Amino acid sequence: MTKNIIDINAICHTFADGYIGLKNISVSISKGEFIILAGKNGSGKTTFLRHLNGLLLPDSGVIFVKGLDVSKHLVQTRKTVGMVFQDADTQIVGDTVFDEVAFGLENLKVKRAEINKKVTLILEDLNLFHLKDRSPSTLSGGEKRKLAIAGILVMDPEVIVFDEPFSNLDYPGTIQVLSTIIDLNRSGHTIIIATHDVETVICEATRIIMMEDGQIKKDGTPDCIVKHLESFGVRQPCSSKFGMGLQPWLS
Amino acid sequence: MLHLLDVRCKFLMMCLVSMSMLSAQVFACFFYFLVLLFFFKKTGLNIFATLNSIKYFILFLFFIFAARALALKGDSLFSFYGLSVTKQGLNDGFLVAFRFFLVMLTGLLFSSTTKPSSVKSAVQWFLKPVPFVPEKRVAVMISLSLSFMPVILKQAKEVSEAQKARCGDLQKNPIKRIIRLVLPLLKKTFLSADYLVLAMESRCYSDDRTDPEFTPSGKEFFFFAGSVVLSLSLVCL
Repeated sequence: MTKNIIDINAICHTFADGYIGLKNISVSISKGEFIILAGKNGSGKTTFLRHLNGLLLPDSGVIFVKGLDVSKHLVQTRKTVGMVFQDADTQIVGDTVFDEVAFGLENLKVKRAEINKKVTLILEDLNLFHLKDRSPSTLSGGEKRKLAIAGILVMDPEVIVFDEPFSNLDYPGTIQVLSTIIDLNRSGHTIIIATHDVETVICEATRIIMMEDGQIKKDGTPDCIVKHLESFGVRQPCSSKFGMGLQPWLS
Repeated sequence: MLHLLDVRCKFLMMCLVSMSMLSAQVFACFFYFLVLLFFFKKTGLNIFATLNSIKYFILFLFFIFAARALALKGDSLFSFYGLSVTKQGLNDGFLVAFRFFLVMLTGLLFSSTTKPSSVKSAVQWFLKPVPFVPEKRVAVMISLSLSFMPVILKQAKEVSEAQKARCGDLQKNPIKRIIRLVLPLLKKTFLSADYLVLAMESRCYSDDRTDPEFTPSGKEFFFFAGSVVLSLSLVCL
C-alpha cells in the first residue's frame, strides 16, 4: 500500500443520466512514474483523472492516495494530486498571474509571507516572474498552460495530472509545456497525462494505459503498447510506423 | 504617487470627493477639474485618450444637459415647437453634467492607478464589519467577474464570427440576431462556469481563506487630509 502512491480498486462510475463513465477499474501507480492515459474521445480518460483528484467519487470501489481513502480525505488528496485542466482559460481564477498562483495557498490558509515567498519561487522556476503583474487573459496559450501548472505546483503536489495538455497549443507553446512536464518528472513528480495524441510524450513515458468504453484495455510499457495504439483509435507515432522505433519529440 | 497609495485610502478619498461634488458649484467644479488635470499629468495618463474612451458617456451627459435645459422653468431664452430653453435650465444642466463628468474622471483616475485585485481586497476589507455579508465570497466573486469578462467577450466574438462565416449577418431582424448570439453564448458561459467550479474545487477552494495584504506607502495620512480639505473647499466655494 505504501509503495504505490495511488491504488485503485475496482472503481465504477455512472453519471446521473445513466451513462457509464468507468467500469471496474483497478490500477496502481508508483511514485515517479510517467504515465500516458490514451484512448479516443469518450473513452473515460477525463472521468478517470477526475477521480484521482476527488472531483468525482466512485459509485463502488475505492481509491487510495498515499494510503488514504480519497472519499474521506479530499483536502489531503487535492494537495497530493494536482490537476491541470484541458482549457487553461476556464481554470484561471486570479486577475493577475501572481494572484492566480497564490489562489491554492490562500485556500489552504497559508500565511501571507509564506504565500509571497512560495509564489515568487515557483514563478521564477517556471520563468514566469516577469509576467507576475499581467492579467492572465493577455498571456499566450503556452504561458497560460504554464501558469495553470504553476498554480498547481505551488501547492507542492507529488502527482500532477494533465488533461490534454497540448490541445490548442502552437509549436512553441507545446515545446514550453512539454519541457516543463519533463522537468517536473525528472524532479521526482509522478506525471499522468490523458491524451489522444501520444506522439509528443511517448518517448518520455514509462507506461501507457489504454482506455476504451470506460475500461482499461491495455497497460504496459510504450514499446509493448505502441503497435496496438491504432486498434484503440489512437494514432501511432510516425517514427514507430516507419520502423524507426520511438523518437523523442524534443530535439 | 497615486499608484503606491493604499487602496483603502484611495477608495475613501474617491467617495469623499465624489460626495462633495453633489453640492459643488461651477467655480468649485472648475477648481476640481484643474486638480484632476494635475493628477492626470502626474500619473502619466493622457487626458485626450481618456476623454476618447468615455465619448459615449459624454454623449449621455449632453442628453442630461439638454433635458435640464428644456425641462426647468425660468427665464426663456428662445423657444421652438412649444419647448422653451431657459437660462436657469442651461445653468443647471451644465452644472449637473459637469459634476457627473468630474465624478467619472475621478473614478477613471482611481481605476487606472489601482490593480483590480487591490479593489477586490479593499471591498473585502470594507465589508468585513458588515453583518450577514460573506465578504470573502463577495471578493472571490468580484475577482471571478474580472477574470471571466475577457473569456466571455472572446467567446461572444467567436460565436459572432462563426455565424458571420455562415452568412448570419444577412439576417436583418435584430431580435433574431440577438437570440442567435445569446443562446450559444449562454451555453458556453455556463459550461465554462462548470469547469471553473471544478478547477476551484481541485485547488481546495474554501470561504475561509488567507486575508488580503495591504502595503501602505506611508503617505496615506497626508493624502487623506488633503482630500478632506479639498472636499470642504468644494462644498464651501
